Amino acid sequence: MARALFGFAALVTALAACGARDAQSPAEHWARAESLWRERSPAAFRAWQALSPQSDEGRRAHERLTLAEQHYLRGIALLRDGQPGSREALLDGVAQAPMDPALYLPLARACRSRALPLRAAEFYRKYLQQGGTEPAARAELAQLDAPLGDIFDPAPPATASPPSTTPLLAVIAGGTLVLLALISGATIWSRRRARRSLVELAAASPELHPALAYLIGCLRHELLKHRILAVGDAVRALAAGTPQPGQRAFLLARLFSGEPLRVAWAGHLGTFMRALGPRFDLVRTDRGFREAGRAVGELASLEVAFARGDADAPMRLQRAYERLRAFDRALGAFAAGLVQTPVDAALLREVVEAVRAEYAAGQVPLDEVQIADVPAGVAVEVYRLDLTLILKNLTRNAILAVGRGAAPRRIALDVRVDLEPTGEEIVRVRVRDSSPEPLSPSALTGRAQDRGLGIVTTALDRYDGCLELLPAADGFEKGVAVRLFRALGDEPAPPLGAVA
Amino acid sequence: MKRLLVIEDGTEYSEFARLFLGDGFVVASAFSAAEALAQLAGGGADALLIDLRFDRAPRELLFGDVRETAARLFAGDQPRALRYLQDQQGTLILAALRAAGHTQPAVFVHDFPPRRLENLRRLYGRVAAVPAFDAAAIRAAFEARP
Repeated sequence: MARALFGFAALVTALAACGARDAQSPAEHWARAESLWRERSPAAFRAWQALSPQSDEGRRAHERLTLAEQHYLRGIALLRDGQPGSREALLDGVAQAPMDPALYLPLARACRSRALPLRAAEFYRKYLQQGGTEPAARAELAQLDAPLGDIFDPAPPATASPPSTTPLLAVIAGGTLVLLALISGATIWSRRRARRSLVELAAASPELHPALAYLIGCLRHELLKHRILAVGDAVRALAAGTPQPGQRAFLLARLFSGEPLRVAWAGHLGTFMRALGPRFDLVRTDRGFREAGRAVGELASLEVAFARGDADAPMRLQRAYERLRAFDRALGAFAAGLVQTPVDAALLREVVEAVRAEYAAGQVPLDEVQIADVPAGVAVEVYRLDLTLILKNLTRNAILAVGRGAAPRRIALDVRVDLEPTGEEIVRVRVRDSSPEPLSPSALTGRAQDRGLGIVTTALDRYDGCLELLPAADGFEKGVAVRLFRALGDEPAPPLGAVA
Repeated sequence: MKRLLVIEDGTEYSEFARLFLGDGFVVASAFSAAEALAQLAGGGADALLIDLRFDRAPRELLFGDVRETAARLFAGDQPRALRYLQDQQGTLILAALRAAGHTQPAVFVHDFPPRRLENLRRLYGRVAAVPAFDAAAIRAAFEARP
């Protein structure tokens, strides 16, 4: 809905920029266009384009659009060809000016060719949402994810033109009012989006969950656990005035030797920003990180206080330490709940139904579809979109394989859970079929992106999962299992800002 | 004094244990499953403090068969299997110690999800975990009855 509003707002912005040009100075137009860009609004490109090249501001904007387009095109070409430097080129473009929405399509195709199916789907979606009309785009998106492709197929009807009898002035006045309302709403929405906390960001962008979990794990392990939380006993002993010999030295060495704490903290925040985008400066957008940053700063400042022998240094240390300990716990609980998808009979049914709704797989007459009961309460640490993409690929392959053979045509989906010596549990989602067509192990590990299994393997890699070939059993000729780790965390994530 | 065997791939745990648990334990160190087994066979220990991740340990010191793990869990991908063995090494060392008959209480400094800790207890008996380096919590974990 919000994207649709932006799309419409973009049109209205462009119209207003043409129709109301006389009412505002070039500087005001430029300020608004630049503001849209800073907010990463989809309307930004059209707003920039609508600036009059007759003004200094407009001329510079058009020069930057041209320069940015060169960077974007170079970045897309490098990405498509698997050459280094694509990210840098795209960032050079981002630093100059907004991207033409028409470039979302080549960018999506480049991502697709480089085995980045989720990124590709995202850019196909953006392209279609921005009014892209290339018919192949829908088909290509549908190949990556059929239900997602269906959302844009058929294309939404074009917005009706105003009746020709409507006076132009009324249209402009009405349009301006709508524009103001939409821009206000969009600005508020966009600012809210830009100021999302980590919890809100995770809720709105599930595709970021794996990256967030990894980044949080690094922050907790490298900085919080081994440098800061390791000194808890020394902190308490110092605060109580009873440090044992060596404890003070241990504390000072952990906190103040090696990489300065502020630098280490900034390094982790920088990693978050590089992964999530420059707008997600967590110190500004997330209360928990902001408070933790202050606590890290307080710890760092205590080096001088301890050297001077300030009497209040141990208590200040303890307060900062406790805040960071609470922050670490909240981060741990939050990360544990990030990427969890229940694996149950409903999911398996949904997968089979989605595949059966596709044209080719829907034509195969199946004699039996078994969806066995699955153990209760099983979840895996995989984003749901990825898990359904993976299972749909395997189910589609199974149905098409039995379709090429003789009846009876049978497929079965079930779930097995096994305990590992590490205390972890292995979840195997098995898709078996009655087709005698052989399937080689190498087909499961191939990376060719023109094959469904290549996409599946790539997606699974990110979750430390893999595919396993299953031998004939129970009347089925073969099978493929998706091997994943069971999600064992069971605590809901508390809001980070509530505890630091 | 009780004897504490610290098993890790560095010196952080033993440094911490000597400083903060030294009043109740004589601390010894081992850097691999083989060393831990040798120490337990030689002098024994009353408790085990075990690091989970051994990402600094060379491959030859890791407990577990990379090739077998790769075949069983990672579709033959040995680099991933090696990472897995490093990341989970502490639990695998504990498995080796239990298989050799050593039943001392074991503590990890790690915030395992409750279900995983439950699984470790089902597999290995007296196992506890504390989320951070906290001497009082570690002492309490050693003393807790199953």
